[in-house]
Amino acid sequence: MITNECKKFLTWLETWDSDQQPLDSPPHARGCSSCRAVFEDLKAIHAEAHTWSANEPEPPAHIWSSLHAQLKDEGLIRTPEAERVSPPVVSSPGWFANLFAQVPRPVLAGAYLSLLVAAGFALSGPFGRPSNEAIWLQGTQVVASPLSAQLDTFEQNPMASRGYVSPAVAASLHQNLAIVDNYISLCEKSVQEEPENEVARDYLFEAYQQKADLLAQINERGENVQ
Amino acid sequence: MPESEAIRLAQQGSAPAFERLYRLHNRRVYSLCLRMVSNTAEAEDLTQEAFLQLFRKIATFRGESAFSTWLHRLAVNVVLMRLRKKSGTEASLDEMTEPDDESGGPRRDFGGPDLRLSGSIDRVNLQRAVEQLPPGYKAVFVLHDVQGYEHNEIAKIMECSIGNSKSQLHKARMRLRELLHEALRDKAREDRKAASGTAGGKD
Repeated sequence: MITNECKKFLTWLETWDSDQQPLDSPPHARGCSSCRAVFEDLKAIHAEAHTWSANEPEPPAHIWSSLHAQLKDEGLIRTPEAERVSPPVVSSPGWFANLFAQVPRPVLAGAYLSLLVAAGFALSGPFGRPSNEAIWLQGTQVVASPLSAQLDTFEQNPMASRGYVSPAVAASLHQNLAIVDNYISLCEKSVQEEPENEVARDYLFEAYQQKADLLAQINERGENVQ
Repeated sequence: MPESEAIRLAQQGSAPAFERLYRLHNRRVYSLCLRMVSNTAEAEDLTQEAFLQLFRKIATFRGESAFSTWLHRLAVNVVLMRLRKKSGTEASLDEMTEPDDESGGPRRDFGGPDLRLSGSIDRVNLQRAVEQLPPGYKAVFVLHDVQGYEHNEIAKIMECSIGNSKSQLHKARMRLRELLHEALRDKAREDRKAASGTAGGKD
């Protein structure tokens, strides 16, 4: 028979916290066999379940393998292999440290700045001098050609001076420079075809700037690594 | 490598840090999944999914809650989502329990003196009973009674109130008690049949 005391006990039991409150039978349950049975049963369930935590199974090794592969595919983790292959500048510090060893750094920095200034000036266009277009075009070609040649020299000389360059690194560098060179060729062609086209001149200037940036970054990274 | 350092490095994409975090928590997560679905292949799949979600979101972890709480929240959600998909419903956590028809509370089934569970509960029959629990009850029961989380932690993991966590746990235990009693009665019935069969064979 369920009494009011039983109902109170069951209400209390709903908020009973087995971790915080004693596991001894509450006063009512001591004198009520039905309520004591409920309380003892819940205690027994809790006690048996608690023993399971001591035997947590080890997950199979393939879970990590699959997870690792998936994370790698998604580009979420950097693996040592990826670090070796992707950014060549990081993987061969000695090469970059010595890339521009032949050329003193102040000279390089000065050359980089003067090239940009000269290129900017040369490609700024015949503003205010529309009648001297031919002269301007000639001037552009005269300045732009040595600019390109100078950048090539900065690129070629250190490369030629190197005793050892990792094939992977050299290939990566050549690939990047080839892309920029190709871009420069296209821009030079556009400027020659349309010397008055300001957009074409801007693109050519940008292309020179990209090549100079690339060479300067390579040199800078080499310096940092050193 | 301490956990905090592993978290910091994992946020930068360090593979060894990811592995460290996985090794620190894989047992608990796998165990939770296994208790929830009672199927090793599915538990493996869920463990992988939980960690995958964790690593995808790790850059957003700011340490407002314990890392293990955060991870368990992800794991519980992954498991509950799977169970919801399996049951073909879009039920909320509350709907994944079995409220009593009349009061919304657990059925108050008083066991008679002859049906005490003490001494008759073992790993196998309790596991069978846990398998029959609704997912919401099961999650709270596994987190509290098996994995030892406190109600305030469960409230964070399950994104519910502490009172709700206590209530769900009580309902889960009461439901388990019912299921275990049923199992005991079935076994007693079978034993009686077997005994009468044996006795009949002797006559």
